[in-house]
Amino acid sequence: MADKKTNNCPEKDSRRDFLKQSTLYTALALTPVTVLKAADKKVDERFAALFEKIPLTLNVNGSKHALSIEPRVTLLDLLREELQLTGTKKGCDHGQCGACTVHVDGVRVNSCLSLAVMNEGKSITTIEGLATGDTLHPMQAAFIKHDGFQCGYCTPGQIMSAVACVREGHAKSKADIREYMSGNICRCGAYPNIVDAIEEVQKSGGTV
Amino acid sequence: MINFQYIRTTTSKAAVDSLGKDKTAKFIAGGTNLVDLMKRGVTAPEKLIDINNVPLKQIELKGNILHIGALATNAAVAEHAVVKQRFPLLSQALNAGASAQLRNMATVGGNMMQRTRCGYFYDITMPCNKREPGTGCGAKEGYNRMHAIFGTSEACIAVHPSDMCIALAALDAQVVIMNPKGERKISFVDFHRLPGATPEKDNNLQANEMIIRVEIPLNTLAENSYYLKVRDRASYAFALVSVAAGLELKSNRIIKVRLAMGGVAHKPWRLTEAEAFLTGKDATEVNFKLASEIALKGSKSFGQNNFKLKLAPNSIIEALNQAKSKA
Amino acid sequence: MKNSLLKDDTDRVDGIDKVTGKAKYFAEYQLPGITYGVLVPSTITKGTITGIDSKAAERAPGVLAVVSHLNRPEVKGYEASNTKPVPNGTLKIFYTDKIAFNGQPVAMVVADTYERAVYAAALVKVSYNKEIHATDFDENISKAKPPRNPSSAFYVRGEAEAYKNSAVTIEQEYILPTETHNPMELHGMLAHWDTENRVTVYAKTQGVKATQNTISSTFMIPMENVQVNSEFVGGGFGMALRTWPVEIAVVMAAKKVKRPVKLVITRDQMFTLVGHRPHAWQKIGLGADQDGVLKGITHHAIGQTSSYEDFTENIVNMTKFMYKSPNVNTSYKILPLDVGTPIWMRGPGEATGAFALESAMDEMAHALKMDPIAFRLKNYAETDPEKNRPFSSKYVDEAYKLGADKLGWSKRKNEPRQNKEGQWLVGYGMSTGVFSAGRGKATVRGVWYADGRLLLQSASSDIGPGTGTGMVQVAHGVLGVPVNKITFELGDSSLPPAPSQGGSATMSTVGSAVHDACTALKNNLAELAANSGMSVTDPIAEILKKNNLPSIEVTKESSPGNDQSKYSMYSFSIHFVEVKVHELTGVVKVSKIVSVGDSGKIVSPKTARSQMVGGAVGGIGMALTEESVIDHRYGKFINNNFADYHVPVNADVPDIDVIFINKPDPYTNPMGAKGMGEIALIGFSAAVANAVFNATGKRIRTLPITPDKILS
Repeated sequence: MADKKTNNCPEKDSRRDFLKQSTLYTALALTPVTVLKAADKKVDERFAALFEKIPLTLNVNGSKHALSIEPRVTLLDLLREELQLTGTKKGCDHGQCGACTVHVDGVRVNSCLSLAVMNEGKSITTIEGLATGDTLHPMQAAFIKHDGFQCGYCTPGQIMSAVACVREGHAKSKADIREYMSGNICRCGAYPNIVDAIEEVQKSGGTV
Repeated sequence: MINFQYIRTTTSKAAVDSLGKDKTAKFIAGGTNLVDLMKRGVTAPEKLIDINNVPLKQIELKGNILHIGALATNAAVAEHAVVKQRFPLLSQALNAGASAQLRNMATVGGNMMQRTRCGYFYDITMPCNKREPGTGCGAKEGYNRMHAIFGTSEACIAVHPSDMCIALAALDAQVVIMNPKGERKISFVDFHRLPGATPEKDNNLQANEMIIRVEIPLNTLAENSYYLKVRDRASYAFALVSVAAGLELKSNRIIKVRLAMGGVAHKPWRLTEAEAFLTGKDATEVNFKLASEIALKGSKSFGQNNFKLKLAPNSIIEALNQAKSKA
Repeated sequence: MKNSLLKDDTDRVDGIDKVTGKAKYFAEYQLPGITYGVLVPSTITKGTITGIDSKAAERAPGVLAVVSHLNRPEVKGYEASNTKPVPNGTLKIFYTDKIAFNGQPVAMVVADTYERAVYAAALVKVSYNKEIHATDFDENISKAKPPRNPSSAFYVRGEAEAYKNSAVTIEQEYILPTETHNPMELHGMLAHWDTENRVTVYAKTQGVKATQNTISSTFMIPMENVQVNSEFVGGGFGMALRTWPVEIAVVMAAKKVKRPVKLVITRDQMFTLVGHRPHAWQKIGLGADQDGVLKGITHHAIGQTSSYEDFTENIVNMTKFMYKSPNVNTSYKILPLDVGTPIWMRGPGEATGAFALESAMDEMAHALKMDPIAFRLKNYAETDPEKNRPFSSKYVDEAYKLGADKLGWSKRKNEPRQNKEGQWLVGYGMSTGVFSAGRGKATVRGVWYADGRLLLQSASSDIGPGTGTGMVQVAHGVLGVPVNKITFELGDSSLPPAPSQGGSATMSTVGSAVHDACTALKNNLAELAANSGMSVTDPIAEILKKNNLPSIEVTKESSPGNDQSKYSMYSFSIHFVEVKVHELTGVVKVSKIVSVGDSGKIVSPKTARSQMVGGAVGGIGMALTEESVIDHRYGKFINNNFADYHVPVNADVPDIDVIFINKPDPYTNPMGAKGMGEIALIGFSAAVANAVFNATGKRIRTLPITPDKILS
């Protein structure tokens, strides 16, 4: 949201003060149903939001973020809508396409099925964090060289997955690459070029 | 998605305690199935208990038993040296499931707890006795190409979607469960259940219980085992039919055999009669075929899945062929 | 950014943006005060909305509006009758209480966060009067009717149904199920009214001008008051060739809440709201003499449409001109069902038709005990037998040979079941694809700066083929300006007009305009040079300096000439595949692919090859895995997700050899190019089905060829 700051963790004091003042609510369990009822009674929704949000600290591409978010926000939506890191894509939102692939503590995962709050204290790497300054990561360069994409929408997920694939040691043959890259759907059908790109990076033997 | 309370726990006891306190609470570990179901409105827990920090990630051989913690990820188990060497069937089954990303997230316990992928279960506008008891089974006279041929009931013909569980059923695994009173242990094949009149219950885990670990005894099948998964595309698809086959051979004589099937029942379908038939016989195509016929006893199809009555026995033969030829 | 591996000038011009995540798709623009729309879909398939209870949703935190037909803002174009582009019953979203298909949006919840909008949408309760629906193609096939335009309905050359009188005859039915485009990017729109009368949208569209036109006429505001931005599009394959009702809904909602509204539809909504390749039934009759000379071809087709629009495509066209039979007749009907309106999907009707015709050709070759290539060559059309005029260029005979050699066609035995590797039966198949090499009208603005940079602009699109990359190479070819000094701007409705990206015509149409604009720049520069006593070979900086100019600029409209009426212009493809079929499990693997493109001069070799590769991958999906299934009891898709609707994954795809004839067509356009996007897929599914027959002896005439069909 444009009017939200990245560091929008509400002051702990204000939350406590609110809870103290609001005797009506402290008497009730803080379940969503309660909050809903609060909404029904037209209680100021900013208070309702305070109930629902919890603090979260994340490291994204080397930057630390102190956030306050609803538990229902996925890591994918947090990256795209809150942190404006739109390189990570939403293709299905159900773990069935791989467009949302990011690295969490170095491991590739589907960010659409990960609740953001489950990543407390973790380091997230997205496509925006892969290059070093102006120098492309070798996998990014290889994707360009081998034309491993067309529309480009699945590409960030493919590249994040490809880097992990090499690191995992699952890129030692074309058959392995194909199998271990099958969690990333490319509807334009760039698969053979993707395989060539990964194979080249694997064979170059450099650090990925 | 409804908003929910979210808490983290660090011990299994605390996890079980907090589960006991709140009937609408659920554990979350990998989240690969639960978050999906919550997004679709199939389930709407009011509280999620994040158990990822509970120390249950161990994969270790203790004497003759491999202990796998409930929170070990599917990838960690599949890639573990001991698993690859001593239980290749489990490694193969795990790698046949989902995608590399999902296997990095999904845990052993979560894999066991995953719900069916039946389209009627997933679509909250459709009838489904498993999701909403009493609404009827959409699949029985509907789109049932993926559905069960064994152990079905009037109420439900869904299949359990796991690959890992098929291998664990074949490998005589045990499940260790914790509840407020302590721990209990059940055979893996008794963990999941048939739908009967209560398809809403996938397994025999009680509301206040937690899977702690899976134990697998060492076996003599490692050299001749094979996990066959037949599906509509080469990867990243659920099984039409899968077969976990393990053989112990002595100059082509079958000393021991373990067979289980996926994609055919509400639970991993262990083929005990076929195993009994094959034990002591020669590992020949003829015997494999006879075993596959025995395995199909009691099968029943529902129209679009009629082909499974042919695919299932064929797949048993193929899996046994492959297991045998590994020698 | 530097790219150490980037040595080849023909790399994609937007490659770095795409591999670094910088490329912005419609949903990724941040506007101040942005809000989120979430749709409430109809849960019935046909009937009337009797009530919408949105109280709970409206009271939910963060909700700004629940827009429906009960409270929508006025849409002038929907009010007026018979106003373009809302002819014969186009779904007037939120302007009707009628439900025409399951999943039709009945309301849109707008909230300040995505999560809140999703939650509130689930609180909206809708009541209906349900009517009996019809979604089952087979059950309703008798209700098929000729399309409104009768010229596309029937065709006869010589005698109708003449095949029946031949020595050898084939008569078979072929079924293609509904397929869904499913580009990776979800559809939607981001819209904001800058003033009461002026709107800016970020769209996922194959044509910014078309989107601009639709919004302009629907809301009855001037074209220049509609700004459409669509620089990057995450795939389309045809589904973004029209402005869908949901897009109008976003513009409406933005008007209602007076803030920017972003809607990203869900993957399951991609099956219902933005078209599909329609289910089609076909019957082919072929008659030949004993020597394999075709005497008659008959092709009947019925394709599905919606209840409220006539959607048509060219299923039977290829049959009219591909082979030189003296007697040919075709018919084409449409069957209205209670589904959303279909839309052309890559290689549209031609791909559907080629599956049937090229399967039937294989069946006939087998009946004649002839090699399928020899049979096709025997009936090779040197000139267009439909229009009785020459082809602008056609090297299909050469393509057959090149492809056959590359695949190792000689390994193929004419009798099926002759090749085996363990449990795998091995088979070989081929087929032909063809698509019109059309060219339209486009305008390009070119500015050539003193420092040598060249800027080209046209309101074209790039849904993936690499429009900018191709255009830059056209310009380079004319002016010799290094490609890294050329910029091609597209995806902006304020640029000079270009048609939508569809029908494989962008290179021919926009490329020609680029060619003409660059030629004009070249001539202008030569004139300036001559006027100032310089040579055109002098550096541009000096010529412009001498003339006191910072740059030279042209805007050039380019149209096809009358060669289009003298020649039949088609692009051709030949697909060769090797398949392996597992006897016990019925699993089919495509193990080798050779695709040959007879598509004129190749302007951009790297992206052209990728197009052919991508078409083959789409062809694997069409042949082996893709089918959108409706449970007709509810009229609702049951496999509407990426786990159950199987598009091919990496492991389904072998290495793919692409061969181009690469000979310029003398008449299509100044580059000698012909389109490629469609031919890459057209015919491919027949090659697979033919190879499966060669492997197994089993002829499968209903796609996709899944293990159950092999085992049956």
